[in-house]
Amino acid sequence: MNDTLTEMDLSLAQMTESPWITIVWDDPVNLMSYVTYVFKKLFSLPHEQAHELMMKVHNDGRAVVSSGSREEMEGDVQRLHEHGLWATLQREGTL
Amino acid sequence: MSKFEIVNGEYVLDITLDEAHILINLAEQLLELLGEGNIPHHYDSTDPFAQLMSSMSDGNFGGEVAPPEDAVLKRLLPNAYADPEASADFRRYTEQSIRDKKVETLTAIRRELAAIVDADKAGLIEDLDAYQWLLGLNDLHLALAVRLEADESSYDHFESLPDEDPQKAIYAVYFWLGWLQESLLKLM
Repeated sequence: MNDTLTEMDLSLAQMTESPWITIVWDDPVNLMSYVTYVFKKLFSLPHEQAHELMMKVHNDGRAVVSSGSREEMEGDVQRLHEHGLWATLQREGTL
Repeated sequence: MSKFEIVNGEYVLDITLDEAHILINLAEQLLELLGEGNIPHHYDSTDPFAQLMSSMSDGNFGGEVAPPEDAVLKRLLPNAYADPEASADFRRYTEQSIRDKKVETLTAIRRELAAIVDADKAGLIEDLDAYQWLLGLNDLHLALAVRLEADESSYDHFESLPDEDPQKAIYAVYFWLGWLQESLLKLM
């Protein structure tokens, strides 16, 4: 019973705390190879995936790079700003 | 022209004196812009690059929650939210730490460049921290881009400028910074 309750609490927490996304916006200055490097480093992505994400930013003008709780997304935005990428966060579905 | 290399497993930058002067000058100006007021300069006011950044400082340091007024700082410390109030909250908790990181990175690079500039001759910067240099060069590249209002068409613009145009030298430094950064990324 206790286990079930804990599980329910967890999934409830995930449902209420996860609709936040981090967006990286295209800028004409950062090198494509640099943006790929930062994605690999910050999100532990394999090269191919980081490159695809970078191309999405470049071609679409922006891309969602992570999603999770608001607190987690603020952490991602902070780390992206430390690396000179232009990043914002918002609720999912408001893009 | 300087470039990064790996020698015996260590990152090395073989740098000319002129290039070391340009980089230390930009690093010191950006440090000042980020709020580091007490650094001895390696440039003087007659230096053509001296007023690129430091003169634009708006004194908006520490504890402020409004977005910075200076365009370079606005780019290096952008709003995290579309909503100004949420952005101000985010700044209250994070901006100082982001500034501190950038200052730490630029200070380390400046120290290594100062050894070259103070010796007054070209030399090697050995066993350098590639990650730190990558981030520092990126911030300098971004800062210069803001001052030049650089975009995708900047290279064509640069090529069309007459040699005597003072902006031409600044553009040349801007493109060189990108090239230098790329030479480092290829090794990482």
